[in-house]
Amino acid sequence: MRNLPGINRRHALAGMGAAAATAATWRPLWAQTVAPITIVINQSPWFDSFRRTVERYESETGNRVELDVNPFAGSLEKQRNSVRANEGQYDILIMNSGWFTEMYAGGFVAPITDIDPGFKLDPKVYTLGDTVYYNAEKKTVTADGKLMSVPVQPNIPMLYYRGDLYAEAGLEAPATFAELEENARRFHEPPQRYGIVQRGARGPHTVAYDFYPYLYGHGGGIFRDQSSGDYTVTLNSPEGREALEYYIRLAREAGHPKTAAMDQAEVVQSIVTGQAAHVMMVIAAWSQMDDPNKSAVVDKVEWAPPPSLPELPTAPGLGHWLAGVAHNVPDERKRAAVEFLRWFQTKEAQLTTAEAGGIPVHAAVYDEPIADEHRYRWMKPLAQALPHAVNIYQFPEASEVIAVLELGLNRAIAGEISAVESLNGMADEIHAIMDKHQYDTSQIEPL
Amino acid sequence: MSTASVATLAGDRTGGRKAGAAFGDDRLWRWLTFSPALALMLLLSVLPLANLFVSSFQDITWAGGDSTRSFVGLSHYRALGSDALFRAGLVNTFIFAFCAVAGQMVLGLGLALLCSKVTRGRVLYRAIFILPILIPGIVIGAIWKLMLNYDFGLINQGLALLGVMQHDWLGSAETALLSVIVVDIWHWTPFCFLLFLAGIESLPQDIFEAAKVDGAKPWQEFRYITLPLMIPTIVVTFAFRLVLAFKVFDEVYLLTSGGPGTATEVVSFTLYQRFFTEDRIGYGSAMSVAVIFLVSLLLVIALSARRGLGRT
Repeated sequence: MRNLPGINRRHALAGMGAAAATAATWRPLWAQTVAPITIVINQSPWFDSFRRTVERYESETGNRVELDVNPFAGSLEKQRNSVRANEGQYDILIMNSGWFTEMYAGGFVAPITDIDPGFKLDPKVYTLGDTVYYNAEKKTVTADGKLMSVPVQPNIPMLYYRGDLYAEAGLEAPATFAELEENARRFHEPPQRYGIVQRGARGPHTVAYDFYPYLYGHGGGIFRDQSSGDYTVTLNSPEGREALEYYIRLAREAGHPKTAAMDQAEVVQSIVTGQAAHVMMVIAAWSQMDDPNKSAVVDKVEWAPPPSLPELPTAPGLGHWLAGVAHNVPDERKRAAVEFLRWFQTKEAQLTTAEAGGIPVHAAVYDEPIADEHRYRWMKPLAQALPHAVNIYQFPEASEVIAVLELGLNRAIAGEISAVESLNGMADEIHAIMDKHQYDTSQIEPL
Repeated sequence: MSTASVATLAGDRTGGRKAGAAFGDDRLWRWLTFSPALALMLLLSVLPLANLFVSSFQDITWAGGDSTRSFVGLSHYRALGSDALFRAGLVNTFIFAFCAVAGQMVLGLGLALLCSKVTRGRVLYRAIFILPILIPGIVIGAIWKLMLNYDFGLINQGLALLGVMQHDWLGSAETALLSVIVVDIWHWTPFCFLLFLAGIESLPQDIFEAAKVDGAKPWQEFRYITLPLMIPTIVVTFAFRLVLAFKVFDEVYLLTSGGPGTATEVVSFTLYQRFFTEDRIGYGSAMSVAVIFLVSLLLVIALSARRGLGRT
């Protein structure tokens, strides 16, 4: 190679290196079509799958996404602070079923179709009790409202059970509460193994969330009919009593002795260490069951929809997560946020989520060959349960009601008060809350 | 100092006085120099407290991205009396504060007396004793959550070796508050130890020497000389610790979240629930004002007691 005048080989190599480095740095900027965005999210068992899905979005589009990861309660606090400021720090809010109505009703989330009238929710995406819509006039979460969010995780509780023990005993997955109790008692060999491990600790949305499948699966409920605006408190119905007494009986006679202090991490720990024959918890924890670095029961755990009474369908409570665009960010960031959501709801993106250990929100993924693979054996039971999932709260003051449930249920499970005292007390307090906020509310006869 | 410099200083003072007179007998000048500090104090402490106080008479709601404040009078304060969680929190806080502080005072004084006699390896002993106070609260939560774990905690494993049944220390209503108190004693005893040790080491030695000459025994020395002379230090340490114990939050939040039931509910945790989790800003503000009032009252009582004991 003949040197150019004034440029030697070292100069040429240095120049090429600098050009390559510049190109590597600038490539994403060339490819980037929308403004960088920031997402506020919580650290959940499914977070890693979301992160990897975001990474794929970034590599495919060149757009930048920053994640602000927090504990459950911390995420809510950061969201409140951001949306109440003049200009928000976060573009996309990852909202839990316990607080999304607070964000909708407070005017903190911009309707997606107001940002981009051409945006269409993929018809195969689960709308999860129509919680992606909000009718501001009627103040209801119904399909006639505006599109406010895109689902991120269709999280519901599922029954995790030890398939190996069931196979040895020649049993089928329990479909009713009676079957679950019988099987839990059968496998209860404390302290080596507990028939069932339940969550009973007080928390931001802890014991109440795990109690919902029992309550609704027994035909009970907290309110008579939220969709029609009837907030009559029905928690202390005979069905509610049956559900709570069943929950407590399972804990005392076939469960862990410290149920009242059990949080989600300890419930996960009990099943992955082989200490629990059954647990009922969010499906988001599935990937930990077969992780040889975390689990002593790899390939031994199976899934089934939460049991119910024989005449009733399964009724898991929605503990899902929705992504909404903050109202107080610049328009270009709002549009960038919508671009991300448009990509996120596609089947391809949702396949990435599933492969990374998450729960897809796109129904078509459940019909893909992946759903037949052994690793994804939870998909079919989840697809059975999802259509029956119950949206527990449709009003913005839900966090006050949840706090009442957390304390009342925990006290009953800890044996501080009886199930009846707990239910009547909680019903009184919930009624007072709804009355204070001027909902159409009343009470049924106390137990 | 040279004669010249003394003269210069005297001249300055005279000049200062003249200038002060121009400002009306120093008063205006004093206020001018004092006002930045006063403004800063008002801005940083009085203003937030005033805002909290005003919010305690209001309800704050959100719609369309904007807040609306409505005056509700004393209703939040009236509601405090019927808040079962707040009542349980108050009772537990008093039990927690008095038991934990009493334990810390006795242990701290004992350790300080022992350490004051040690001549070799003093630095090592002190470093070991003050270790817990240097550990961040979150780490203390992790340490004790592991220690008290039902299935694999060190305490239950130790009991199993002795043939004693496992116990759910944090999940049982009988032992949960006691467990949190023990953790707090472990955490804060070094604070008392340090203050007591400093107090003991500053006591006049001639009194002790005179007592020895008179044939005083160690117990008599402690009872009639050390303890009376240490009273001011003990009262100040007690007041400090009582106020801090009354504000306990991290240990409860990390170990029990107030449970089981209301067994470990404390006022700070109730406040966190009401203000932050439930987003009841007005009611949470009223609760905050009530808590500030109680802590201030405790401080006044403790300092009055100190003055009373000082006179005695």
